[in-house]
Amino acid sequence: MQNILSFLILVPLLGSLAALLIPSKKVSAFRWLALGAVCVQLVLFVLLLRNYQPEIGLQFIEQRLWISLDLGSWGVLKADYLLGVDGMSLPLVGLSIFIMLIACISSWHTLSNVKGYFSLLLLLNASIIGTFTAVDFLLFYLFFEFMLLPMFFLIGIWGGARREYASIKFFLYTLLGSILILIVLIGLYLSVNDPSGAGGLVHTFNMIHMANPANYISNTILDPNNMITIGPLSARAWAFLFLFFGFAIKLPMVPLHTWLPDAHVDASTPVSIILAALLLKIGAYGLLRIVYPIFPEAAVQFSTMVAVFGVVSILYGALAAMASKDLKRMIAYSSVSHMGFVLLGLASVTTEGVTGAVYQMLSHGILSGMLFILAGVLYDRTADRSIRNYSGLASKMPLYFVTVLIAFFASLGLPAFSGFIAEVMVLLGAFKSNAHNGLIHESLAVLATIGLIFGAAYFLWAIQRMFFGPFDVKGVAKKLELPDLDNRELLMLIPPCIITFIFGVYPQPLLDFINPFASDFVNHVITQAKILSAHP
Amino acid sequence: MQDQVNTILQSFGWVIPEIILCSAFLIILVAGLFRLQRVVLLTLALITFASVGAAIVTDLYTTSPTLFGMMHTDGVSSFVKMLINISALLTCVLSIRNKGVHRSEYFAFLVAIVFGAHLLVMTTNFLLIFISIEIISISSYVLAGYFFDKKSAEGSLKYFLFGSVSAAVMLYGFSFLYGFTGSIDFATNEFVSSLASSENSLTYLALFFVLAGFLFKISSAPMHFWAPDVYESAPAPVVAFLSTVPKLAGLTVLLKFLFTINLGGQSPLDWQFYITCVAILTITVGNFAALKQTNVKRMMAYSSIAQSGFLMIGLIVFLPQGVEFFLFYASVYVVSNFLVFALINSFEISGTTTIAEYSGTGKIFVLTNVLLLVGLISLTGLPPTAGFTAKLFVFSALWAGFQQSGNTILITLLVVGLLNTVVSLFYYLRIPYYAFLKNGKPAISHNILSFENLLGAILVLVLLILFFQPGLLMSWINKINFVL
Repeated sequence: MQNILSFLILVPLLGSLAALLIPSKKVSAFRWLALGAVCVQLVLFVLLLRNYQPEIGLQFIEQRLWISLDLGSWGVLKADYLLGVDGMSLPLVGLSIFIMLIACISSWHTLSNVKGYFSLLLLLNASIIGTFTAVDFLLFYLFFEFMLLPMFFLIGIWGGARREYASIKFFLYTLLGSILILIVLIGLYLSVNDPSGAGGLVHTFNMIHMANPANYISNTILDPNNMITIGPLSARAWAFLFLFFGFAIKLPMVPLHTWLPDAHVDASTPVSIILAALLLKIGAYGLLRIVYPIFPEAAVQFSTMVAVFGVVSILYGALAAMASKDLKRMIAYSSVSHMGFVLLGLASVTTEGVTGAVYQMLSHGILSGMLFILAGVLYDRTADRSIRNYSGLASKMPLYFVTVLIAFFASLGLPAFSGFIAEVMVLLGAFKSNAHNGLIHESLAVLATIGLIFGAAYFLWAIQRMFFGPFDVKGVAKKLELPDLDNRELLMLIPPCIITFIFGVYPQPLLDFINPFASDFVNHVITQAKILSAHP
Repeated sequence: MQDQVNTILQSFGWVIPEIILCSAFLIILVAGLFRLQRVVLLTLALITFASVGAAIVTDLYTTSPTLFGMMHTDGVSSFVKMLINISALLTCVLSIRNKGVHRSEYFAFLVAIVFGAHLLVMTTNFLLIFISIEIISISSYVLAGYFFDKKSAEGSLKYFLFGSVSAAVMLYGFSFLYGFTGSIDFATNEFVSSLASSENSLTYLALFFVLAGFLFKISSAPMHFWAPDVYESAPAPVVAFLSTVPKLAGLTVLLKFLFTINLGGQSPLDWQFYITCVAILTITVGNFAALKQTNVKRMMAYSSIAQSGFLMIGLIVFLPQGVEFFLFYASVYVVSNFLVFALINSFEISGTTTIAEYSGTGKIFVLTNVLLLVGLISLTGLPPTAGFTAKLFVFSALWAGFQQSGNTILITLLVVGLLNTVVSLFYYLRIPYYAFLKNGKPAISHNILSFENLLGAILVLVLLILFFQPGLLMSWINKINFVL
């Protein structure tokens, strides 16, 4: 029980090492190894869930000294191996394991270089879980960066036609983001003192210490009590912007989203699932875990900007999705649109908005996974993703039609599905914000609501074009058989259908996790922002 | 007279490593006369560097002037000397399978360069600086041409021409400085006080002349033009050697010189600003020029130019921590650089020299390419390699320097330097990109690279250990008492 989070990270890591030792001819061994590792994680997660106490915040904390360097007159540099989960990260860990399970099943028929594929998949798994559980900024950064390489190769080797371009673009964009984060990371650890260090100066990477203004060393650049201005803005405002844009690239936020459609279109189905369902969440997670708690006053100062970016993402993403000819590209843009809601909810800094944002992360994680499986199903049969090359599929593939219907309706925010709950809460928060804390104007919430209509439009239009009317398949796929979903595909698709339905009609179990986190979060950000802005 | 002789004899105790090097140089030259096996020469060189390294490590922290102040043994110079010997040792190991380098002169010149580098890091005397730089340069000119073909000769000649001119400019600067200050040793109080009171703008011109000479040695922009041609045409072990040993020696003397002329921040000329500009220029020029390269060694030349800029960061904050982080960065740079060159060398022996020729090698030489990937990732500065820790440290120094001086150029360098990391990733990743992602038919089809793999695996292990436990090295560096 004590080291359960470490085991969650270690299991896939060891699995990946074990995969290197198995001779590459034993193809099925790798599949079972990967699946086995994720199943072990699932068991560990159930244990975690049973012992979780919603009333206390961060728990299952593991702390071990990792780096301790004496820097002479600078004091001591200290980084800990510090893990923990709270009401936001626990559901995300669950989501990661669930998505990894689906990704494993979805990769079952990967043909080329199976050994490399599954060891990279397990490596990616370990670093994603690590990112969601690390509470030490350096440790977080380590996991965050470490996701890049496996992802680069997963897109670049097993991807589609333009996979090389897509993988490089993905890597450079994300690295640019993480460099922005690194700049602030350096400034933060040099400015923050570990209060538990006996007397002497201990520079720490601990995020909890970073969120407490009392721990800042006076006269350092990021010291909130002693504002240093660089150009037009204070140093802390710059730091906020750097971090915000660093994570916003990953989110992705318009106009920093251009890597996403390319990466999605050229990644294979399981990689797309992981990318949309998990990697995008890490951007949002960083904003919730790091940016807002550490720079509350700057977050409040820039809340309108964040909200505007959110609304622009919602609207632009929806319009771009409507214009997409490629099914996968449409789904990728729908991700941009949906992640805009996360930004909007966050910008409102109300309990409803933040709860909605986290709910949207989970809901979108499940739904986008599902959408990419569905796109993959079609691509596996025909190697063609152009929407206009299909019509009347409903009669030929009834089961496929039903699942697409569920996924699309859930994604466009139909009541009784999880997306509805999330979006309604975000909008509630956005409408309430002006009266409650005066951060964002109602007009932005109105615009976001219009985004919902666009969302409905592109999903419905796609259904109409592809599934209704007389059966016809154009292009290369013309002569191919179009069998309905097989058992493996049903195995991947039915659980997310059930989950999105349960969380759509009975959100309370999930809210029990998120709500305490959200109210603590809002409380911290608003009170700290008031205190810190009161300073001259 | 008797006293002087006694002092000289006592001083010999502090220059044992240099004496070993001198003798080894002669022994290897003489051994060449007897048509010995190459293994014997190689072993001689290995023994030399190993014993010199051991002699340095035994008293790493002693501080003492020797030979009437011509040389100073101190922690920083001892540490750099140790790195230099490790580099030389690795160079010899790398040369094992290079058929072209069988002559005794090859090893003799390596020893000579190491000897020159030793002198350079230990002295603050202008004359000795010039002599040691010439020892390094002349031997390097020869080594650069060691393929003995037309291209190699061209590279060597270019190196020679650039080197002579920059040495002449530096000597010109020395003569001015001697005239203005009346001292030939820049560590003396006489030099410092005359520099502080000097109002003559020619003094600064002279200082810039001297700096130009140092910048040439560390292949820093705008004195970097020789590097790509030389690197492209020289054998890979020589390139690995030239991109570390003279660079580290040059940086160490630059460090001492900069700390002197900065006059503790009292200098009327803002040296921090100028040197930071040089670093920004170096990093940017190196990285952007590397983007277009098709030859691996040419790309590594620009990479080494960019790395010079990163190495300089430790010097320009003018803080003792900066020096410590410079030493850490230098150590990691040596390991990553040799890791990359060891594997490049193994590909070069089989005839793979352009990046495009790496196509498809990732499927056959999986381990070699994975090791190479780790080395390149470390040069980029990504976790989980020590390259990340080193970058984190030097940029921390930069941030702290900004905190102390408020010089906004430092924060500019911080942002430019880190954004350049993204650029550098693009070209560092090109080899793995071709190796793993592109399909092609490699020149060799079966794995014969077992020796390089072993060496590479050891170096990768070092990089990983230094990432997870940087304290192992830093606690060592921490004990160094930084005195000028």
